[in-house]
Amino acid sequence: MRRRLLAWLARRPEAEAWALLGPGTLWMIVFFIVPVVVMCAYSFMPRGTYGGVDPGFTLEAYARFLHPVYLVILERTFVIAVLTTAFCVLAGYPVAYAITRSGKWRTLLLFLVVLPFWTSFLVRTFAMIFLMRDTGLVNSWLMGLGIIKQPIEMLYTPFAVFAGLVYGYLPFLILPVYASLEKIDPSLLEAAEVLGAKPAARFWRVTLPLSGPGLVAGSLLVFIPALGSFLTSDLLGGAKGLLVGNLIQNQFSTARNWPFGSAASLILMTLVLVAALLYLRVGRERE
Amino acid sequence: MPRWLVAFTAIVLFLMHLPVLVLVAFSFNASKFSVNWTGFTLHWYQRLLEREDILAALRASLIVGVSATVIATAFGTLIALALARHRFRGRTLYEGLIYVPIVTPEIVTGISLLILFVFLRVPLGLGTIVIAHVAFSISFVVVVVLSRLAGMDETLEEAAMTLGADEITAFWKITVPLLWPGIISAALLTFILSFDDFVITSFVAGSGSSTLPLIIYSMVRRNVEPSINAISTVIVIGTSILLYVAEKLTRESA
Amino acid sequence: MNRRELIALGLGSLLAACRQLRDTLTPEQRTAADAAEAAEPLGPIEKRLSIYNWSDYVAPDTISNFEKEFGVKVTYDVYESNEEMLAKLLTGATGYDLVFPSSYAVSVLKAVGIASPIHRQYLTNWGNIAPLFLDPPFDPGNAHTVPWQWGITGIAFRSDKVDAPDSWAVLQDARYRGKMTQMDDGRDVIGSWLRYRGHSLNSEDSDELAHAKLDAIAAKKNLKAYISAPVKGQLISGDVWIAQLWNGDATQAKVEQPNIAYVVPKEGCTIWEDSLVIPRSAPHKRAAHEFMNYILRPDVQATISDFTGYGTPNAAALKLMQHPVPYPTADELRRLELQVDLGRDTAVWDQIWTEIKSA
Repeated sequence: MRRRLLAWLARRPEAEAWALLGPGTLWMIVFFIVPVVVMCAYSFMPRGTYGGVDPGFTLEAYARFLHPVYLVILERTFVIAVLTTAFCVLAGYPVAYAITRSGKWRTLLLFLVVLPFWTSFLVRTFAMIFLMRDTGLVNSWLMGLGIIKQPIEMLYTPFAVFAGLVYGYLPFLILPVYASLEKIDPSLLEAAEVLGAKPAARFWRVTLPLSGPGLVAGSLLVFIPALGSFLTSDLLGGAKGLLVGNLIQNQFSTARNWPFGSAASLILMTLVLVAALLYLRVGRERE
Repeated sequence: MPRWLVAFTAIVLFLMHLPVLVLVAFSFNASKFSVNWTGFTLHWYQRLLEREDILAALRASLIVGVSATVIATAFGTLIALALARHRFRGRTLYEGLIYVPIVTPEIVTGISLLILFVFLRVPLGLGTIVIAHVAFSISFVVVVVLSRLAGMDETLEEAAMTLGADEITAFWKITVPLLWPGIISAALLTFILSFDDFVITSFVAGSGSSTLPLIIYSMVRRNVEPSINAISTVIVIGTSILLYVAEKLTRESA
Repeated sequence: MNRRELIALGLGSLLAACRQLRDTLTPEQRTAADAAEAAEPLGPIEKRLSIYNWSDYVAPDTISNFEKEFGVKVTYDVYESNEEMLAKLLTGATGYDLVFPSSYAVSVLKAVGIASPIHRQYLTNWGNIAPLFLDPPFDPGNAHTVPWQWGITGIAFRSDKVDAPDSWAVLQDARYRGKMTQMDDGRDVIGSWLRYRGHSLNSEDSDELAHAKLDAIAAKKNLKAYISAPVKGQLISGDVWIAQLWNGDATQAKVEQPNIAYVVPKEGCTIWEDSLVIPRSAPHKRAAHEFMNYILRPDVQATISDFTGYGTPNAAALKLMQHPVPYPTADELRRLELQVDLGRDTAVWDQIWTEIKSA
């Protein structure tokens, strides 16, 4: 019985592949692709009075998105995502570099970077609240040391959201950069040294370019979630500023405007996919 | 290594861990509101045990986590095997598409699944949460197992087969044991992802099927008290242990 | 079938099957159907009950006492706003037996056909309700609702930190910058600024709404955050000095911080009435009715309202209460307004709320 099955499969190499791919692919199609398709359809339908959609076809959801208030939200989200990414690169790249040079400490340091990467994002965001509240730790220390008389308003400001995003996503940058730095052939650097390049030049002309793919990957791993972030601005922003993620969530809860929420989701997803495709393009060129 | 780099790294790593360390430390603080240390206590941990809703949520998170992990790891491993070992039409496209769920913002995944369930009139509950978690985890398992497969030597299996084993025997006796640490790693990491998920779960959870992150979120929004610190500490320690085991497994077999 | 036909068929069935969130019967048909259903008997009391209520809205022992007396296991979920509850119910969350919508939310539930008729025959304590609360405008004849509690959305403040405010204008006062909050609710925020200018807080007039938006944005500069009931903790700790808040929650906070006081702004504010409603998909309707009857008992209602600090529609309970909240006088009522469902204008209000939030 077994032998017959194997013989049959051997004649059809593709069948074996699809037998393996089958279950998972089916699940993904039904529970990932189909929902997005339905969401796409919903974005073109008129809004039901109490939520949901009415039958019909309309572009009003997309037209609504062109209203300045929503474009401003998109722009603001984009700016925060870019700033977060930039700051993560500035803070994270040196750390990744240091880990590659750390010798016997390497495993420990890696674990210290990986651990926050895996710790619940919600818990870590709450930790920020705990630190930044008016009656939180930072203010208490500063007041206790007499540096300030009144608590600094840290929480519920754009700064809090920015800090929360950087804190949340920094590990996401360090790991890919480290992976890419690690792969650099040390003989290339030795060669450069032999050719008379000083340490600074060796870094800028050899190390940095060769770590490019890791840097791009890490930046994307920060930029994309930051663009779609919802929890950070929800908990740290004091509900005073809206990012695209919050806007979308709103449409499916308080505003009950499903077509508009769907349209906004698709716009966000398109932006993200464009960013990812750009990465692939750059990544391929480098190789 | 230049000294400024050492200092810089130390500072950054310290800041990366400071908030959670503070959180954990204050879960033992006797004071309810203030950040003044009024004494060591396990009171807040005791409160956790008294709160039925937290225990129920913990139970729900574990059930969902284990179910989603088993299903996603199984499906994902099979896909990884197909991608690594077989040629088929559309393979490059498939390889590209498998990354799409990873880059898709959680809010889009969550919302689209909500729309689907409402459209199909599927009642929301633990089942829909498991479905959602599997959906976003499969890609992830594929990536992890693929990277392990890439480093694996096929010659062992070929050797086994020249010695008379058929493909299925070779698979179970050679491939799986070699792959096992990678599979377990992927499973542990999938479990962590599922256990900690908030955004997607918040959209597809039904009445009374709160998972732990949902309960923590509502506690953070409503009344901030050290019980939150306590449950957070439990999660952090649990995650660290799982992560340590996962790392050990990947390192051992490397 | 060729590919094109297949796609057309697929899209067609997709559109046709779209779940329309609207009642399938006309209002007249619905009234008749409900009346017929209300007369039918329900089965025996089920062993479980799933309640979805606002946070901090029952006394600490209400649920456990009910469980013990009737042998029913209660699951208790909470929400922070009508919208949160409506969103859950409208997306097909079918497990809840009881929800507590405010006036306009009742209208929404009825319009979508989700409110199930009350079987009055099981509510033996019905007579305890004061006539004032019977037959409300949003539910004639109490076909779908049992009155629960009522309250107002005014301003809570720390009397030891600020002078007693008397107007919504205090939120635009830069003296208290960073120490004030408004509720995280578009209807409450926009409503407050509509009242400030003397307009109705159910206004659909674009000029009035435009003014309210500008006022809200002017106030936003001074606000610490938009935060609803959870602001209690910050009032107690002194992080916040002035907060738009419900009267009962302010009373609850006062227990921990005696310096908290409450005021109804002179321009007026919202008065709201919450009711118990059983969703159509409730699996345990009989147990739900028993709970409704239970909280209609004078002693139970008195305990609940004494704890929550809200007004009760239960005339018999009022006599038993230690701190009854007096119903507003006719004079005061002139300044208070009930929120009405905005129907399609919800989209307009939502856009304004989004603009305020992103300003």
